[in-house]
Amino acid sequence: MASALKKELEDLLRLRRLQREGPPLRGEDRRRAPLPIGIPALDDLLPDGGLPRGQLSELYGAPSSGRTGVALSLASQCTAGGTLVAWVDPLDRLDPASAASAGVDLARLLWLRGDPSVRPRALLRAVAAAGTLVDSGVFDLVALDVAGFTASELQRLPGATWLRLQRALEDTAAAGLLLSGSHLAHGPRGASLCLQAQGAEWSGRPGPGRLLAGLAAEARRTGGTRRAPLHLRALA
Amino acid sequence: MFGGLHSASRTVPPAVLLDVARGFTPRVERRDAATVLLDLQGLGRTWRSPEALGAALVDDARRRELEPQVALAWSRVAAVVLARSVPGLTVVGPGRESEALAPLPLAALGLEAPTGELLRRWGLRTLGDLAALPPGGLAERLGAQGPRLVRLARGEDERPLVPLPPPRTFRCALDLDWPVDGLEPLSFLLARVLDPLAASLRAAGQLAASLTLELTLVDGTRHARACRPAAPMGEPRTWRTLLLLDLESHPPAEAVQAIAVTAEPAAARATQFSLLDAAQPAPERMAELMARLLEWTSEGRGGSPALVDTHRPGAFVMGPFAPPALGGRRHGTTVVSEGSPAWGERAPRAVLRAYRPPRPATVELKDDAPSFVMAPGLRGEVLGCAGPWRASGDWWDVAWSRDEWDVALAAGVYRVFRDRLAGTWFVAGEVD
Repeated sequence: MASALKKELEDLLRLRRLQREGPPLRGEDRRRAPLPIGIPALDDLLPDGGLPRGQLSELYGAPSSGRTGVALSLASQCTAGGTLVAWVDPLDRLDPASAASAGVDLARLLWLRGDPSVRPRALLRAVAAAGTLVDSGVFDLVALDVAGFTASELQRLPGATWLRLQRALEDTAAAGLLLSGSHLAHGPRGASLCLQAQGAEWSGRPGPGRLLAGLAAEARRTGGTRRAPLHLRALA
Repeated sequence: MFGGLHSASRTVPPAVLLDVARGFTPRVERRDAATVLLDLQGLGRTWRSPEALGAALVDDARRRELEPQVALAWSRVAAVVLARSVPGLTVVGPGRESEALAPLPLAALGLEAPTGELLRRWGLRTLGDLAALPPGGLAERLGAQGPRLVRLARGEDERPLVPLPPPRTFRCALDLDWPVDGLEPLSFLLARVLDPLAASLRAAGQLAASLTLELTLVDGTRHARACRPAAPMGEPRTWRTLLLLDLESHPPAEAVQAIAVTAEPAAARATQFSLLDAAQPAPERMAELMARLLEWTSEGRGGSPALVDTHRPGAFVMGPFAPPALGGRRHGTTVVSEGSPAWGERAPRAVLRAYRPPRPATVELKDDAPSFVMAPGLRGEVLGCAGPWRASGDWWDVAWSRDEWDVALAAGVYRVFRDRLAGTWFVAGEVD
């Protein structure tokens, strides 16, 4: 009797989706549920409505294209749902105050800060740490921020680096995210989003009292033709 | 035969007294904080006489800096009462307990104050006086307590010895025929030690709060490592991983001849799972992960950031990664949709990609606003800007004061600031 009632309740929850960010119910395979970025325009661009789990995805663009803001939006979606996020940051660029203002629950964020003074070693250590984090099975999102490294620095990595990371992600519930300045790598079913900066938006005319209102950008899937406008509000 | 061991020194912890007693017999009963009762049956084959046994007990207690009072008797009551009352060593032969107790004052029995006062008013001064009274007459006057007091004064036992359960140690050791060098063969041997250790802990309903690994090396020295995971755990595979990760960073200097692992037991935790919350990672898995990331966390470069209650830009502290339980605060029946106000609060934000430390910059001004910015890896004409926003603080400590600008260059949008105390410009980071 009790189990029948419980099943009925679960069916109701599943049917009505009372909780958008709720954990998977019994019988649901969480590996199939993608991680929504939390920005409808970008989620609509992706075939599954979010970053696929078990795959390496990438988010790339020039400085001020909003890649970090988008990645932190994704992280805030994960932490709001009670899951854990790992942020591997070899150049030590994450600003915790910005992350908190983007909605990230900092207590659910594991932040590994590299030492920018030893850049090549920091990159190698970061890639190794990302593999360890994926293997642990603890995190739903493992983000590796290599934006800021030059193309030549990234090319010095062993050729199979990203392939290995993709193989480590397969059959796990984690989504891997590469944050970079240019197209780098993604898994066979992983998402690849390119952000193009469209410039800054200001609150008024030049002069005292003017504020940075936000950033405008345009997003498209690599190889796709659809484009989505993106507006990011400026941090406080 | 029974032994009473009493310490006249009040500063000695009771555990020391028990340790002395357990050195002679496992059957030990604690009578009070300063007195223990020992069951010495069967020790005649080790000590030739009760006097030799008593002397050994006194010597051992003196070595532990106790002031021992020891009494050996064939009745438990006599052993305890004599140990509490008579300094040094007292040995009472069989059947002579009443005679040995007779000269002791009534207070030796530890009577309650009204009873002791009543007996004194009757003219009784010693246990011998009390033992000589007829039990029937005392029962008429004091009830059931009367005959009981007489039995105690005569040294007759009223209850059996109730031994304390022996402290359980969880230890497993392995002596090797041939020394082992290297961590890989050691990992297989560790499994042989840890599996039975985990089984014994599991049988006792315990987990390991910490593990101590002692490696005896071929040169006779010992290499000891302690491992204390974030939460008590009972999974031998995780223990092995934690110990091996620790040995990787602190390897033994020589080949290993013997292995011993000791576990500090802790009660198994009770976990309440939730139907609606996301499943949280097991503490074992989390402990293993943090051990693997020791290279980061030991340098203070891995963990959870926490904001500091200050206006100083970029201030934060790193703490250990210990995600809390959700506790159901998030759950409700509200459907969050794009049109609802809650969605507006979640609009994506442009955030700062900080430069640590801030990059020194050269900034040209035009009409008191930046017109050109030059810094390592960054150079360009300012296409638009907002500012200045003045901020300062910590004047009572390490003061800071700055004018901040958001500047748009062709390469991106950056936050620059002028340190008003030093008069120099810096780039704080990139807005992304």
